[in-house]
Amino acid sequence: MRFDVRAGAVAAGLVVCAWALAESRGASAAAGARTHEIVIQALQYRPETLKVRRGDVVVWINKDPFPHTATAPKVFDSGSIVADGSWRFTATRAGVHPYICTLHPNMKGTLQVE
Amino acid sequence: MKTPIVAAIAALFLLGANAQAQAPSDAQIASIVVTANQVDIDAGKLAESKGSNAQVKAFGKQMVTDHSGVNKQAVALVTKLKVTPEDNPTSQSLKSGGAENVKNLEKLSGAAFDRAYVDHEVAYHQQVLDAIDKTLIPSAQNAELKSLLVSVRPAFVAHLEHAKGLQSSLGQKN
Repeated sequence: MRFDVRAGAVAAGLVVCAWALAESRGASAAAGARTHEIVIQALQYRPETLKVRRGDVVVWINKDPFPHTATAPKVFDSGSIVADGSWRFTATRAGVHPYICTLHPNMKGTLQVE
Repeated sequence: MKTPIVAAIAALFLLGANAQAQAPSDAQIASIVVTANQVDIDAGKLAESKGSNAQVKAFGKQMVTDHSGVNKQAVALVTKLKVTPEDNPTSQSLKSGGAENVKNLEKLSGAAFDRAYVDHEVAYHQQVLDAIDKTLIPSAQNAELKSLLVSVRPAFVAHLEHAKGLQSSLGQKN
């Protein structure tokens, strides 16, 4: 009896692994995951609005001489991106996500994830 | 409390007066930029240690970080351009106005310190912004120096808005 339970657990585990593998392959293959860049310079996000597909990677590159953030409350938050630093984010949640720099809140951008 | 604000404004009015009389050279602009940043770094350091409100302390810390970053970039540029910053009446007035502000702030504590610091930051950033627009950008001869001024200008706008926000929130608490 005990043996059967274990065997069942192992089998279930294998099924889960196989499913996860298939999912991860599917995701990367389906998205053809592109990488997009947003340059932060003179307190502006360029481009100000960026459209990406789910699974794409977005990299914010800070070219200002002081830190910035890219923060969409409850969706993503880069924390401090230092001067000449960058932050990578994989867009997983579809929707229109307005974001700001918490240090300079008059800086505004929008990430559209389709 | 009003004295250092008056001093800072007087220094920048002098800058305005200078602009009409004689436009500053690139070497003088370099000195004004470095001094204007340093003055705000010094006040920011004081707010970081003496401020009582957490937001005021955080603002002070950010002023130190942002203006140090701008100065690092400015010094790198003038070094590259082989421009030696030249002391002038405007940079001297900024320096003495800044020292006077720090001296005044050192005497204060608690909410009185926070209010005096933030009031000064509002007036100072407004006046520096006016100087950038009316004198520094129009007078800069070197394209890279002009471009540096244009690219850091939005930081002064952001700081001014941030300081005004603090000013009204401090006002509501008292």
